[in-house]
Amino acid sequence: MEDKEERIETPLVAIVIDATPAKKFASQAIIDNGSTMMNRIFDALIGFGNAHLMQGSHNKLAVIACNSKSTKFLYPSENGDSKSYHNRPGQYDMFAKVDSDIRHGLSELILKDSIDHDSTTSDSLLGGAMARALCHIHKIQRELSLSHQLKPRILVVSGSSDSALQYMTFMNVFFTAQKENVVIDCCMMDSDSGLLQQGCDITGGQYLRIPTVVGLLEYLLWVFLPGPSCRSKIVLPPPTKVDYRAACFCHHKLVDIGWVCSVCLSIFCKFSIICTTCNTEFKLNRPAIVPSKPKKRPRME
Amino acid sequence: MSVQQRTLDCKDLHSYLKTLPAAVLDRLYNHPATCLAVFRELPELSRIYIMRILFVDQAVPKAIMGSWVSPNSARELEDIVKLLTELRVWQEVEMQGGLKGWLLNPTFRRNLKGALLGGGNEWSMKPNTDADPKARGIAVLDEYAMGRWECVLHFMVGSHQHEAISSDALQILQHAGLMKKEPGDNQLSITKDGFQFLLMDTSAQVWYFLLQYLDTANSRNLDLIDCLGFLFQLSFSTLGQDYSTDSMNDGLQKFLQHLREFGLVYQRKRKDGRFYPTRLALDIAAGPKKSMLNSLNASSQATGYIVVETNYRVYAYTDSSLQVALIALFCELIYRFPNLVVGIITRESVREALKRGITADQIVSFLRQHAHSECYKEPPVLPSTIADQIKLWAIERDRFLYKDGVLYNQFDSQADFEILRNYAQERGLLVWHTLNGRKMVVTKEGHDEVRKFWKRHSRNGSM
Amino acid sequence: MADEEETNEYRWESGYEKTWEAIKEDDDGLLESNVAEIVARAKRKRAALKATGAIQLGMMRHLFVVIDASECMFLQDLKPTRFLCVLKLLELFVHEFFDLNPISQLGILTTKVKRCVEVAALAGNQKKHIEALQQMKDTSCEGEPSLQNSLERAMNGLKNMPAHSSREVLVLFGSLTTCDPGDIQKTIKSLKENNIRVSIIGLAAEVRICREIAKRTGGTYNVLLDDHHLKELILNQVQPPAVAGSMEASLVKMGFPGGKTGSGDGASDSAADHAPAYCLCHIENETSCLMGNNSGYNCPQCGSRYCELPVECKQCGLTLVSAPHLARSYHHLFPIKPFIERTEVPEMTHCFACAKPFGELDPNVYECENCKQIVCLDCDLFIRETLHTCPGCASDPITAQMKTN
Repeated sequence: MEDKEERIETPLVAIVIDATPAKKFASQAIIDNGSTMMNRIFDALIGFGNAHLMQGSHNKLAVIACNSKSTKFLYPSENGDSKSYHNRPGQYDMFAKVDSDIRHGLSELILKDSIDHDSTTSDSLLGGAMARALCHIHKIQRELSLSHQLKPRILVVSGSSDSALQYMTFMNVFFTAQKENVVIDCCMMDSDSGLLQQGCDITGGQYLRIPTVVGLLEYLLWVFLPGPSCRSKIVLPPPTKVDYRAACFCHHKLVDIGWVCSVCLSIFCKFSIICTTCNTEFKLNRPAIVPSKPKKRPRME
Repeated sequence: MSVQQRTLDCKDLHSYLKTLPAAVLDRLYNHPATCLAVFRELPELSRIYIMRILFVDQAVPKAIMGSWVSPNSARELEDIVKLLTELRVWQEVEMQGGLKGWLLNPTFRRNLKGALLGGGNEWSMKPNTDADPKARGIAVLDEYAMGRWECVLHFMVGSHQHEAISSDALQILQHAGLMKKEPGDNQLSITKDGFQFLLMDTSAQVWYFLLQYLDTANSRNLDLIDCLGFLFQLSFSTLGQDYSTDSMNDGLQKFLQHLREFGLVYQRKRKDGRFYPTRLALDIAAGPKKSMLNSLNASSQATGYIVVETNYRVYAYTDSSLQVALIALFCELIYRFPNLVVGIITRESVREALKRGITADQIVSFLRQHAHSECYKEPPVLPSTIADQIKLWAIERDRFLYKDGVLYNQFDSQADFEILRNYAQERGLLVWHTLNGRKMVVTKEGHDEVRKFWKRHSRNGSM
Repeated sequence: MADEEETNEYRWESGYEKTWEAIKEDDDGLLESNVAEIVARAKRKRAALKATGAIQLGMMRHLFVVIDASECMFLQDLKPTRFLCVLKLLELFVHEFFDLNPISQLGILTTKVKRCVEVAALAGNQKKHIEALQQMKDTSCEGEPSLQNSLERAMNGLKNMPAHSSREVLVLFGSLTTCDPGDIQKTIKSLKENNIRVSIIGLAAEVRICREIAKRTGGTYNVLLDDHHLKELILNQVQPPAVAGSMEASLVKMGFPGGKTGSGDGASDSAADHAPAYCLCHIENETSCLMGNNSGYNCPQCGSRYCELPVECKQCGLTLVSAPHLARSYHHLFPIKPFIERTEVPEMTHCFACAKPFGELDPNVYECENCKQIVCLDCDLFIRETLHTCPGCASDPITAQMKTN
């Protein structure tokens, strides 16, 4: 008899943009009718953000960009309300603001990066940007009135491959997302990322590597615009098989068989007598393999 | 005779649009704001479909569209196709090679795309270029909006402490059947529909009221399409931003004055050249369930104020006489303090409300909507025993089942009575019978058949 | 823990605490903001205490759970009965246990009619344990329990486990008596020699022998207050304990199945790819586990296929895990430094982490020592309790790399 008291769903998408491949795209030749690849990507990201906001009046958006030097909130913008945006004819006010915020912020970030001719090319700070996105989501969740229910997710748009140096950050981000029911989606351009694959798998998100950057907007709109609850209804690209191999702590390379410190669970690719993480000394005299169970079965052929 | 409850029919946006003629719909889509509003109200899957074909300029074959959903959602796709065709968002077209395909309404496509990326038709509402020297804060606007709206409601419940409302508003109230003039009485009095109206949440009230207003738009020499387009633009405007009236034609200016009266927009002076939309206006396109009013921060009045306990006591933290009057519709008030009213829900008080035409669902949803924010911390917001009991009290009134029938009595013998009764019973025509006094009631439809049988029987018996 | 309690004086002997004096009204005469601040402060304090815990934790655990199934477990002081209540909470415990201790092993024993029975052998598969717990719901509780028999049995199981693992027993004891065949002091002594830690949760009242066992073996002893407290007590056992003094450390060889092999990745492309797609975990059962060719995990050492991880390879004994299993526990090892509380708001107007402007309400901000970024109270708590990563450090090219080195 009792009917359910429904809470209003409030979808929130936090887009995390990896701007490191910008240099590569910026140098690329102009494609059709005068628009550069960079512009294409800008337009696609802004189009997606606005398309999400267009879905409903409660929808929320956050955009965070990162490169190898810093991370930055693009929307809501860090400088507060800038009234400087000019409205294009026919565009909805709010969308125009998103448009100009993202465009300004992103070009600022990329310009700063290209001026600064630092030869040390380090990895993109994607982990930090995702951590900030999670903090932002957590905050929104806390401030939301109790009659609303937040449906948060993070969309990572990246083009750089894995950075083993941030392994810990990534893993912490993934487990936090899982705990907070944040779905991590990932749209990769050009290269694959095993770590992000794991993240999408752990949180139940969608991982997709797109073959061409030209169709970015189309992929975003079809695969990533529908919320997780709606995804079962539509035909999506088949899930990719996730590589769950671990990276060793000593050389940051993927290993099939590794040595794990029993005290701190650090992974090493070679046997050593001391754990570099927790400084535990290992006994050499005992066999390092866990004694297998007495009941051994003959091998099936 | 039937005691079926008539509930107030508050159409949502789509069912309203479906009642409009096709030509009007097509013209309506000339405003980006309308397209946006229609789009937002669509079910999720259809929104995804539209997004996918938004940038495709030609028709898309049915077979391809069908392959986008997983097989077990095929039914849902059919519903969507029906809805979108009815709203004239897309049409079925014949493609080359005899394939059937769907084509997005070109005006709709252009304006939705425009709203998203720019480049469509202009919005007629523009932010003022120069800043208002006496700019109004959001709090002021909220207070103004609720004040104006409550003025209308106050008038309806008949508390006379407030100023009277204009003849236009009166007309609409009468047109909507919310109030009527009793014959021989000069005063307007509230109708059953009116009571139901009072218990709806504010955004639904505004929407219902506006629908009724738009019904009479033509008689006021207002262009329905302009008005609707303007309303939707209002609903997408920014709270606290002032807009210029310069580009508005006379009809819209007039419309604006009406909206001002109901608190949908704020204007300091008629000739001011600028106006502020209020939260009431922003809510229009959001639909009744997703109202922003419910999500206001604690500063506003619109947050919940009612606590219901399992012992049927109702505590309402309010000093508004309107809210007290609303609660008194279905509660017995016990105490009244400056900021608190305590009442108790009883069988009698609820029956009183039901007699007025208010439904149990309306009472329950009213209590739920205005539940105090503290109640949200421990769901259920409204104790389920209370919700159930109110519904049981409502069902209680439906204990009588009215059926037309024909009474047979004054049988000469017990045998005659039994024969006829058994005959009627076997054919399922018997409604009721009693041996005491030998009476039986047969359904109206069965009366002929039973009578014929009785005639045959008595003829045979007399032979 | 036991020692600490004994040295402390009783609550009524300690000084008179005027707890209400901490609560002050704010300008509007309201208590709310003040109370919220006190709560937040308390949380910070608790989190800070946790962060200073021992770094050396026993991550590989072998734990026997002993469930009392004697007559007294049918008492209804816990709803519906003690026994059912405990079983239900244990299901939750098993789930949480494997979530936090992915490469640990768990076994379940029951004790009734003066005997001890093994319900689930020491293993790392939570499904089997949960099944066993569910089946137990229909068994009857009878006779007296035997503490000594159960401990001996658990000890026999744990004795041969590798020295680098943490050996533990958790007893859920409802009875106030025990029926033992010999001298339990001897058992305690050998438990101690074998480095086995026994923790006991009493369901009725405090029993001296239980306290003594827990104290001597380095475990904890608690008696429940109500069912909520019981849940808390049981879930407290999920956290890995600090390393006991004499535990040996060693490097354990483990396999990380690479998922789909033959994806052009040379390293994992072995003959095992062409093996039939049967998994070894279901081969004993009648129901064969049908897998597609691209699901399942191959042991990198011998090529046997399994349908889920973690598992111990039945062929070569290699422990197979996936990288995230291990990573789940890493935040214990690399705790972040507590942020410093700062009162004056400098030129920063926004919280670095969540981009929310600082308001009047929270005068205090928190600064990370490494990256000097400022965050708000909410984020400070969130970062410490859940995220375990400073967004500021992770957003700085220099500090981001320091993290793992």
